Amino acid sequence: MKKIFLITWLCLFSAMTAFALDGNEILKQVDRNLNPESFEMYRKLINIEPDGTKKEFVMFSLKKGKDKIASVFLSPASEKGRSTLRIADNMWLYIPNVGKPIRITSLQSVTGGVFNNSDIMRVDYSAEYNCEKIETTDIGYTLYLKAKLKNVAYETVTMFIDSAQLLPNKIECYAASGMLIKNLYFKKIKNFGNDIIRPSIIETDSPLYKGYKSYIVFANVKKKELADEIFSLNYMSKIDGLR
Amino acid sequence: MRQVFVILTIWFVTIFFNGLAFSENILENTPEDINVGLDDLDLDFKIEEIEKKPYSINVDIETKETLRIFNRDALLFKQKYLDNKKEDTAWQTDLDLTIEGQYQKDSIKLYGRFNGLFYYNDDEKWESEKKAEEAYISFQPSFLWAFDAGKKVHKWGKGYAFSPSAFFARPKDLDNPDATLEGYYSLSADYIKSMKGFIKTIAITPVLMPVNRDINQELGPEDELIWGGKFYFFTFDTDIDFMFLISDNLNNRFGIDFSKNLSPSFEIHGDAALIDGYQQYIIDELGNISGSEYTAFNFLLGLRYLSTLETTYILEYYRNGQGYSNLEYENYLTFIERGYNQYLNTSSKTAILKSKTYAAYYNQQAAMRDYLYLKISQKDPFGILYFVPAITFIYNLNDQSASITPQITYSPLTNLTLDLKTRLLFGAGKTEYGEKINMAKIVLSLKYYF
Repeated sequence: MKKIFLITWLCLFSAMTAFALDGNEILKQVDRNLNPESFEMYRKLINIEPDGTKKEFVMFSLKKGKDKIASVFLSPASEKGRSTLRIADNMWLYIPNVGKPIRITSLQSVTGGVFNNSDIMRVDYSAEYNCEKIETTDIGYTLYLKAKLKNVAYETVTMFIDSAQLLPNKIECYAASGMLIKNLYFKKIKNFGNDIIRPSIIETDSPLYKGYKSYIVFANVKKKELADEIFSLNYMSKIDGLR
Repeated sequence: MRQVFVILTIWFVTIFFNGLAFSENILENTPEDINVGLDDLDLDFKIEEIEKKPYSINVDIETKETLRIFNRDALLFKQKYLDNKKEDTAWQTDLDLTIEGQYQKDSIKLYGRFNGLFYYNDDEKWESEKKAEEAYISFQPSFLWAFDAGKKVHKWGKGYAFSPSAFFARPKDLDNPDATLEGYYSLSADYIKSMKGFIKTIAITPVLMPVNRDINQELGPEDELIWGGKFYFFTFDTDIDFMFLISDNLNNRFGIDFSKNLSPSFEIHGDAALIDGYQQYIIDELGNISGSEYTAFNFLLGLRYLSTLETTYILEYYRNGQGYSNLEYENYLTFIERGYNQYLNTSSKTAILKSKTYAAYYNQQAAMRDYLYLKISQKDPFGILYFVPAITFIYNLNDQSASITPQITYSPLTNLTLDLKTRLLFGAGKTEYGEKINMAKIVLSLKYYF
């Protein structure tokens, strides 16, 4: 009886220990399920105003490792050729007319609207956040994430995960003050091929932009080996050449 | 002065009614009013956006209406027009067409940007200008190497309004630092190498710039090959550049710049350049010319800050080592004053024409030594998307004169941008901004991209 009690206790303890440690591991797995470490993709950003007016942007993006992403705008014509680069917490914007990269911040928005640069130049969540708390729910897990650095776009993030696929359903983004800045809803899971199965749409709303909605639509998400040199200031004007 | 008040009134009325109109718009539209859902959206990409064609062409067309309000008492007005200009204002209409095209086949790319400007004003009636701003061929054999030959803009330096280390570029327009520039003919290369360790990236950019009677002739009267380069390092989350230019006719130049985010919303940058053997010409109040040769040291320190309310502040201090002191600039203006009085008394233009000979040095933007530049812009105020009001201050620390430019930019439709900008100049007599030709300039522009 004692042995059974001991074994049961050990199992429970090890399960609890594993569970306590698993938040960051789950987050890493979510990152990998959302996209491979090195890949290319196309995204359409749609901003919808309260009167129904829409503005759309199409971007081609390349990501390597946990914290490098480069993008170039393909449309509309007014934005064409603009490119962005992010390496960890450093972000740059290259505007063809200006002719040189300038540093920008995660809180700004190169497109205007509800999405900010942090959303558009999203690196792995595990590169930016630590999981502080994990809860189990009927459908999976809720991760309570805290930014590794201060003054980032979202100080804390609550991620609601579907355990069947280890993909997020919804993410709530909060400022340091605890104010809810925006909600991201992950929708329409799609098989992009080569074992990349992920939500193809992210819908966003924000209490700060009442009546406004934004969407990111993903297409042609493909694994791709990429040279480190692509993620440099001198390469920003040449990203379109990699399509 | 009355005109300045009229302009300010127009501004306040415009902003007030804009705000009111859009506030009403927001009140009338609650989230429940949005009937656009996933099923209503075109979630498929157009195939032409994803499938890359070897060529692309972009066109933008801009129409611009400019009203200049003259400062008839200003010495630079008298220098330019003497007493021949009777009007208090001048209008100009611009029609500006830019065509940008590129063709890429494997590692070879052809790129060109061509500009045609048609304008009408009271002095010149209809005139036109056309130029190739950039036209070059690019060869990129690998991710590490790229080679460019042709007319290209090399914009170096980290300054927003000022660029002391942009050795191979034309000077920026302080009124519009983001404006496209015309390049010079050059041969250049880019070598990029990413590394592990504390230096994450290095990039080397050598530049050769020939000068002869056919190309780049504005850089000097004699044939020569100007050469130089830039070394870039990304280390400790900081961008650092070292650059140089070596020339027989121009002065040799050496520069350094840096840019770093102290926090995600707070960036600092700096830019410094040494101009070896700079020759400065100084004119005194009697019109005597003296020259001095020295090593000029130009530098700027700047910051960019984004507040939680999404207000962006760009602040730069610029030290122009090639600039004139307060006394030197005042002497130049005094000489113009004497020349104008001489013209009124004797009809002799000798002195005023002599002062014009040095206008290229004294009348250029930021001709003096110490300046503060501040631009404050607010993203999407009143909840209006794609609406950015901004105000820019340029303050001459030497003579306490200033320029203030309120501006609103609005993009109500895809590919359409409206811009209204008013530049007001303030300064006492015999100060830089107090003696400019215009006391105010209003520019309304409409730009469409397709």
